[in-house]
Amino acid sequence: MKHVIMATAAACALAWASQAAAADYTIMAPAAPGGGWDQTARSMQEVLLAEGIAEDVQVVNVPGAGGTIGLAQFVNEAAGDPSRLIVGGYVMVGAILTNASPVTLDDVTPIARLTGEYEVIVVPAESELQTLADLVAALQADPGAVSWAGGSAGGTDHITAGLFAKAAGVDPTLVNYIAYSGGGEALAAILGGQVTVGISGYGEFQSQVEAGQLRVLGVSSDERLEIVDAPTFREGGVDVVVQNWRMVAAAPDLSAEQVAAITADIEAMAQSESWQQVLANKGWQDTYLAGDAFAEQLRVEIEATEAILRDVGLVE
Amino acid sequence: MTAADEDAAGSRAGAGPDSATPRRPDWSAMAIAVILLGIAALVAWDAWTLKLSPTYARVGPATAPYVVAALLAALAVGTAVMAVRGGFPAREHAEVSPILWIAGGLAVQMLVLGTAGFSIATGLMFAAAARGFGQRPLWLSFLIGTGIAFVAWVVFAMGLRLSLPAGPLERLLF
Amino acid sequence: METFALLAQGLLVALEPVNLLYALVGVTLGTAVGVLPGIGPALTVALLLPVTYKLDPGGSLIMFAGIYYGGMYGGSTTSILLNTPGESASIITAVEGNKMARAGRGGPALATAAIGSFVAGLLATLALALVAPWVVRFALSLGPADYFALMVLAFTTVSAAFGSSTLRGLTSLAIGLALGLVGIDLQTGQARLSFGVPWLLDGIEVTTLAVALFAVGETLTVASRQSRLPDRVEAVKGSVAMTREDWRRSWKPWLRGTAIGFPIGAMPAGGADVASFLSYSTEKLLAKRPEEFGHGAIEGVAGPEAANNASAAGTLVPLLTLGLPTTATAAIMLAGFQQYGLRPGPLLFASNPELVWGLIASLLVANLMLLVLNLPLIGLWVKLLTIPRPWLYAGILLFATLGTIGANPSVFELGLLLAFGLLGYGLRRFDYPIAPVVVGLILGPLAEQELRRALGIAQGDPTILVSSPAAIVLLALAAIALVVPPLLRLRGRGRLLTRLATHED
Repeated sequence: MKHVIMATAAACALAWASQAAAADYTIMAPAAPGGGWDQTARSMQEVLLAEGIAEDVQVVNVPGAGGTIGLAQFVNEAAGDPSRLIVGGYVMVGAILTNASPVTLDDVTPIARLTGEYEVIVVPAESELQTLADLVAALQADPGAVSWAGGSAGGTDHITAGLFAKAAGVDPTLVNYIAYSGGGEALAAILGGQVTVGISGYGEFQSQVEAGQLRVLGVSSDERLEIVDAPTFREGGVDVVVQNWRMVAAAPDLSAEQVAAITADIEAMAQSESWQQVLANKGWQDTYLAGDAFAEQLRVEIEATEAILRDVGLVE
Repeated sequence: MTAADEDAAGSRAGAGPDSATPRRPDWSAMAIAVILLGIAALVAWDAWTLKLSPTYARVGPATAPYVVAALLAALAVGTAVMAVRGGFPAREHAEVSPILWIAGGLAVQMLVLGTAGFSIATGLMFAAAARGFGQRPLWLSFLIGTGIAFVAWVVFAMGLRLSLPAGPLERLLF
Repeated sequence: METFALLAQGLLVALEPVNLLYALVGVTLGTAVGVLPGIGPALTVALLLPVTYKLDPGGSLIMFAGIYYGGMYGGSTTSILLNTPGESASIITAVEGNKMARAGRGGPALATAAIGSFVAGLLATLALALVAPWVVRFALSLGPADYFALMVLAFTTVSAAFGSSTLRGLTSLAIGLALGLVGIDLQTGQARLSFGVPWLLDGIEVTTLAVALFAVGETLTVASRQSRLPDRVEAVKGSVAMTREDWRRSWKPWLRGTAIGFPIGAMPAGGADVASFLSYSTEKLLAKRPEEFGHGAIEGVAGPEAANNASAAGTLVPLLTLGLPTTATAAIMLAGFQQYGLRPGPLLFASNPELVWGLIASLLVANLMLLVLNLPLIGLWVKLLTIPRPWLYAGILLFATLGTIGANPSVFELGLLLAFGLLGYGLRRFDYPIAPVVVGLILGPLAEQELRRALGIAQGDPTILVSSPAAIVLLALAAIALVVPPLLRLRGRGRLLTRLATHED
């Protein structure tokens, strides 16, 4: 018995030693396999390995509640561990507020914004609405008659619709928002003419827009985009800019050197050719932003999001 | 549930709902009726606490819960009536200790998974489950279970990158 | 004509020896991973997708097709033999299939599932190649009101088709409906029945419930009455292969299952599970001997298995023609296509014809490979039943927990697995049917959301629910499904009475 205990103890010691020696990353995707965060995490894994930045990278999925379950678990388990990373994004900002999450983005160490996508408002090709002005007029005449298809209530699409209505001088609580659980389902409803307009990230609609089945009324970017032939919301007189970004963050309680080392690795990854290839393949926009600039951006967005969620009554 | 209830349920086998002799109600079935009623009340109470803002649909988040609660309440009444009439089919005697072994094994696996890792935690569960089916000795089943779980861990966690928690055993060998 | 030339060209590529090998490897891996309870086709494809990255585009597409069909098929084997379905689309298979396996007819049950899957996969893939544009136009014309009507139809037929007691069947369904309410309400973002527990905010995972009720519940039930069970299970009584009678009873359900599964799979709000429910109730309604249902009717395996495979091919219709991923599996496939620089969408057929037809040809080959691999293995699979009970059931629990932990590594999820396992035991003990609980969990939220979407778009006008031809037809069918079985029963009794009367003569 004594031998068994000693052997076990030795084994444990050895195990911990060998674990500490490996220079690797474990990336948490706080979502189920297949979604945007999961794809971001797995692409990071691929590029970090391919570029030789890390030798062993593992992806862990912790799905649930807009990423807040994964975030809570991450803060709890990973504190002080420089090998742990978490992928997240703008959706988390809203989810933290609507789910009254005890853990927020202040509890992690944001490293960098990696990719981003802008929201677009689309209509079927045969729709009477031709411009953003038409939509604003219809909205002002009878907000209930304009039905919006997008993702779940309180998500980026809903927030953007609320911001749009508010900026157009319409009470955001009157937006007739129809929530769908997946991009495909909402797209089907828009193509089938079941709803008036659709709102989501451009990637959801890109191939239909290129095929001429959908028309983009406006984009939520601050300047016109190369890939989308449509005016910005601002050009249409609606002062709203929304970017649905994805970021990578590290564990809380790290030293400045540790943060610097991780930032260097992520920057090397973001600038590598294989990362650019991934972005091109997936149709993701490179919106890399690190350091203080990113932290400041994050602060501004959290405030704006909280305000609109209050306006539409999702947050007390 | 007591042994007396068991016997009562058994002896009533085949008794029709319209049989003339008065019978003791089936208390276990009555308990199910009470549980159903409890769930109905819980669902209705939860729906009542929801914040209802006016929606265009007029069918808000509370409507479906109220419908389900009403359905459950109606079924609870139906179950109670059937319990009184003895309409439930006969139940055979259940052996309790195998259930405790298996449920206990699953509970242990759940609790030690984070610290002991997938293979050892699953090996413990495996041993307890096999014991529930009368397999002895425990240590042999534990070794077999841990072995199978470890092979599964290697295939899925190392080969396919499925995230299964690693413990001392996994770290020792990889 | 061009269609056939392209398909033939694709087939020639897919039939090269190296590619056949890739197909075989894909099917084997897909089946091996998909067979684990709790790991459905979506997770199987997600896990195995990286394996295909190392090959050239042609080879990886073929291996991918093999993984997809293998993952779809894998779940039915454990459903039939061990009463532990791996995903929602094969729970119905467990209902009749496991009864057959217990009666020593596991061989024919597996065979009808494999051949039915093959027939359905073949026909549905051909349909995908030939009629996709028309099917997709029809699918798009359906709105939330039509989907609500479809769910009503599914509810009425399914609840009519289950169990010996209406009260107990409805109670099981109601429990499933109550569980379906748990989590954040999609339309308003409010948490229901979550009691401040963050893990409940996303609702109850269907696979966790199904694995717990079936695998864990079944294990507990068998354990609690082991001393009364015979020591050895007779794995095979009669023939391992399907008899002439089995063939005669299977071919129509295969075709009907395909006819139900393909269009439902193509609908944005449909899915393999809904298709399998509807196929089961159709078979029960049309069966010459409905009394066999619930005791191992082969039609109840043949139909749903064909339906879920046809639905898998149907899912590809909106994916390839519109770039619409309508299921989790399809969303992961979309990610897979992007790996090859493909952008599924309306222009895909025009811009990348050789890849699309290559994929369709690969699906046909993978489908054939599945049959070739699985038919000879049936004899081996059936032997699973002869493993001594302690090892067999401990092993089932091992893999069930592996699937659950792998899909969501949280202690809470394992706690749910145990709690629902005990619920499954309790339900079995009091003779409540199991499948309606899962059916309620799947259909309830769908029905509620579609109803609220329909009314939201119509700004509260309830006449929207009966304002489209499709909705009216579906609701009429639902009404027929409610009224006809009691009428048939009456007529049947009448016939019996006449026969008794003639006997007395």
